[in-house]
Amino acid sequence: MEDDCHFRIPITSALRRKSPFAGLLEHMKKVKKCIEVLGEGLKEYYNGDFERFSEVARKVSKIEHEADLIKGNIRAHLPKSILMPVDKGQFQWLLREQDAILDHAENLAEMLDMRHTKIPEELREMFIEHLEKVIETVQAMEGAMRRFRILLETSFVTKERDMVKKKIHEVHRKEWEADQIKYKLTREIYKMEKKLKPMDEYHLLKIADWVDDIADHAENVADLIRSMIAR
Amino acid sequence: MITLIVAGILGFYMAWNIGSNDVANSMATAVGAKAITFKQAVIIAGVLNFVGAVFVGSHVTETIKGNIVNPDMIPSPTYMLLGFLSSLLAASFFVMLSTWREMPVSTTHSVIGAMVGFGMIEGGTACINWSKLAEVAASWVLSPIVGAILAFLVFRGIVKLIFERKSPSEAAKVVGPGIIGLTIMLITSSLLMKTNLGMMLGITIRKALLVAVICGILGMLTAMVALRKIGMKGKDEYDIVERMFRKLQIVTSCYVAFSHGANDVANAIGPVAGVFSIATTGVLNPKAEVPAFLLAIGGLGIAIGCTTWGHKVMKTLGYRITSLTNTRGFSVDFGAATTVLIASKLGLPISTSHTVVGAVIGVGLARGLDAVDLSVVKKIIATWLVTVPAAAGLSAIIFLILRTIVGG
Repeated sequence: MEDDCHFRIPITSALRRKSPFAGLLEHMKKVKKCIEVLGEGLKEYYNGDFERFSEVARKVSKIEHEADLIKGNIRAHLPKSILMPVDKGQFQWLLREQDAILDHAENLAEMLDMRHTKIPEELREMFIEHLEKVIETVQAMEGAMRRFRILLETSFVTKERDMVKKKIHEVHRKEWEADQIKYKLTREIYKMEKKLKPMDEYHLLKIADWVDDIADHAENVADLIRSMIAR
Repeated sequence: MITLIVAGILGFYMAWNIGSNDVANSMATAVGAKAITFKQAVIIAGVLNFVGAVFVGSHVTETIKGNIVNPDMIPSPTYMLLGFLSSLLAASFFVMLSTWREMPVSTTHSVIGAMVGFGMIEGGTACINWSKLAEVAASWVLSPIVGAILAFLVFRGIVKLIFERKSPSEAAKVVGPGIIGLTIMLITSSLLMKTNLGMMLGITIRKALLVAVICGILGMLTAMVALRKIGMKGKDEYDIVERMFRKLQIVTSCYVAFSHGANDVANAIGPVAGVFSIATTGVLNPKAEVPAFLLAIGGLGIAIGCTTWGHKVMKTLGYRITSLTNTRGFSVDFGAATTVLIASKLGLPISTSHTVVGAVIGVGLARGLDAVDLSVVKKIIATWLVTVPAAAGLSAIIFLILRTIVGG
């Protein structure tokens, strides 16, 4: 993410009013990092390796807290009198949705750490496939945000708008694909109803839901970017 | 003799204030866009202001800025002399106060306000040239608006001609030389038209225009050759464009600093020249010869002002309102410089500070900025509105005190 900040060399002076978009990108960096950490941890979890998951949950929670501080800072420096090139209400909402991704990630990590559920052998592959799709959705959203930043730097040229739109379409596609996998997964889990203990069954359904929530919020972020760049 | 020394010191003090407040006009955008550092900016501005003041600064200056006060209504030369001193002191105080509060104000307008203050006390309302004052008031509205419109158009032009293209860096190589040529043309014409330098060389307006066009074309050709070489390697397209404008922006900033020295040194030196004219000849000459050493004092004062307190207002303009990239900074500089140039050729008393603030807002309105802090803008505008009354009041009080001390 550092490389696309070349337009504006960061200024350390505390007196400077920081650009709200720089803050947004900083927050986004945390989202990306958090999902990376969580993704690695979840893969181990799915494979039945619970040993290090407590550590992962702790890390996720820490990143979420750091992001919260950034969010608070952006909000604190966004008084009524700021004139922005995009709708300020939408900007705030975007920030909230971005933060929701982290909230869900934290929730997921904590919940999974409370009860270590063994994923049945035959579902393992599908769970991992689902997780990967969700991560791809988040990554595509992060890409959309980068292009959005460039769009702002060029003051809304058509060419860059189209690039952002392309990225947003990608987010939608990935999210849809993740949904499809989730439905298939849910169906499979129901099929195993007889075999599994009720609590395991319940928890598997929940895991699929919780992971999918992350993609949903990533899609919301993309949608908000879309409405911010509407003519 | 003592009066002369006091006047010289006050003139220097005023010049120091002008330097510290107005340096931001020329350099703030360049510093905000990181084209140059703080230190470089104040040193460049100091040197250029000095050079501009001494070599291009007018040797014949209006002793009463904008002929705002009718000197015939004030019969006593002693009081006139006191008036000059008190208005210098009042204007200096006011500008220093605003610099300390980190607000950009118009030094021209504070001098005008101070003159009005003492004129009202000594000559009554009749001696004030009200229509001239109305012109000044109109420039509060006009100069930021014109600056905003020009900066808006320049920035939209850059977006349309460069950013919208398939390859912005290639487009910049075509458009860039044109812009450089235009900038150089503007600079040359402003240096030659109706200035000391132009008069010294005996250049008429038509000749000045011709020279400007030739210089512009030459600049364009040089730029075309120079730009062929730079930055094709890998880097981001927009980055190449920004880097090009970074160089351009330094040129425009230097130009604004130079012309600022040339134009505004009169604010400090005009009243001092008035005092000299009264002290040496006994009567006030509305257009007084300015001895070269006075210009040097003024230039030095401005230069020292730049380097000592220049950072204060620069912070407000460069960072507080918004942060600027190079293309934005260039648009602001170009819009503001052009507005000031046109106005000064038309003889309108407009202020560079007002125009620059207007230009920054103009770029903001072109959706070119991340966030414009309107609360800072409001504060700045409020400061402008109180400039003339505050300077007038201050100068009236100082004048009354001086008059009592001297004893009528």
